[in-house]
Amino acid sequence: MKIQTIHLDEEQLIRSVVDENDLSADVRNHLSACPMCQGKKQQFERELDTLGHMAKIFAPSPRESVTYSEKPGFFEKVGFYPLLRPVLAALLIFGIILPPALLTISEEERMARLVEEMENDRQLMTEIRALEEDALPDFYQDISGEFYGYFDEEFVNFVAPMEETRIRPAGRFASSPD
Amino acid sequence: MVNKDYQVSELVENAISGDKASLEQLVSLFHEDIYRTVYYRTRSRMDAEDLTQEIFMQMIKSLPGLKNTACFKPWLFRIALNRVRDFHRKKSILNFLGTTTDVEDAGHVGTETHSNPADKVMQKEFWKQFHQFTGTLSRWEREVFTLRFLDHLGIREIAEALKKNESTVKTHLYRALKKFRQNPELRDLLKGELS
Repeated sequence: MKIQTIHLDEEQLIRSVVDENDLSADVRNHLSACPMCQGKKQQFERELDTLGHMAKIFAPSPRESVTYSEKPGFFEKVGFYPLLRPVLAALLIFGIILPPALLTISEEERMARLVEEMENDRQLMTEIRALEEDALPDFYQDISGEFYGYFDEEFVNFVAPMEETRIRPAGRFASSPD
Repeated sequence: MVNKDYQVSELVENAISGDKASLEQLVSLFHEDIYRTVYYRTRSRMDAEDLTQEIFMQMIKSLPGLKNTACFKPWLFRIALNRVRDFHRKKSILNFLGTTTDVEDAGHVGTETHSNPADKVMQKEFWKQFHQFTGTLSRWEREVFTLRFLDHLGIREIAEALKKNESTVKTHLYRALKKFRQNPELRDLLKGELS
């Protein structure tokens, strides 16, 4: 009577490569005794070894070794690393986070500022109206001929006398009274 | 392996107690492994170099907090995987904002290690097939497969690095290997290399 030999199937072959100890005792015994199954397993393992070997030779070698001095960061460059952190944290809080809170003003202050702004606006409008009347600055007023503020009436009469104030000449050139 | 693990544990203990030579030895022992681990996941030599530097700086800073020195390797790989994850997260945000361009090596080509044109073609084809295959895997399947067969971590180390239990790791690995068996292109490439 011929005894039928059952070789490892595909699943058992893969499991033997993952971990031979996970196979049942019967299958393990067969594997240790069967050259054909051992050959299959070894062939499979050689393929995987070749894969690892080829990956290794086809990967470039590193160009540089590990350097032990870590590149200095900002804090290390500055020098006083342990002290600087809380200082910078405080600056951050007081310089960026708090100012909006500090800038909140009371109602009275807000009203005072509003009144001040209104007064400034009023003064500005007054100046604009004055400029509408005469846009020239004071310096140019005397050469423009449009500013007579410092000539009194006597001076004007002297330059251009009115008929009744005109001085009549005496002597032969004087006109005889009718 | 046991000797190497013992040696690593001893170096870690010495490094924790302030021995700079042990620390340097530890870094040089794992430098290339970590660099490659990062490179497999970023596909960029420059990014891999920068991240490797950051990973070891993180390792040096965090080393005094390591309780079980025997778990150093998975602990270091965990730092590396977290850094790579942060890198991809940052990159996807920058890509979304349109402020960066991809600097991945196109098919990992451009490395001066292979000046022979035939090697370059082979290298390009290998990475193309490999990424096509890993594209068929879920995130965890890909991570477990890469850690197992490219980074050469054991099941227990993978479980510790990923903070998952061993049976979960085995399940992901089984699924990944099943998909690998169903990928004739990559397997033919590997068989061609074997023969």
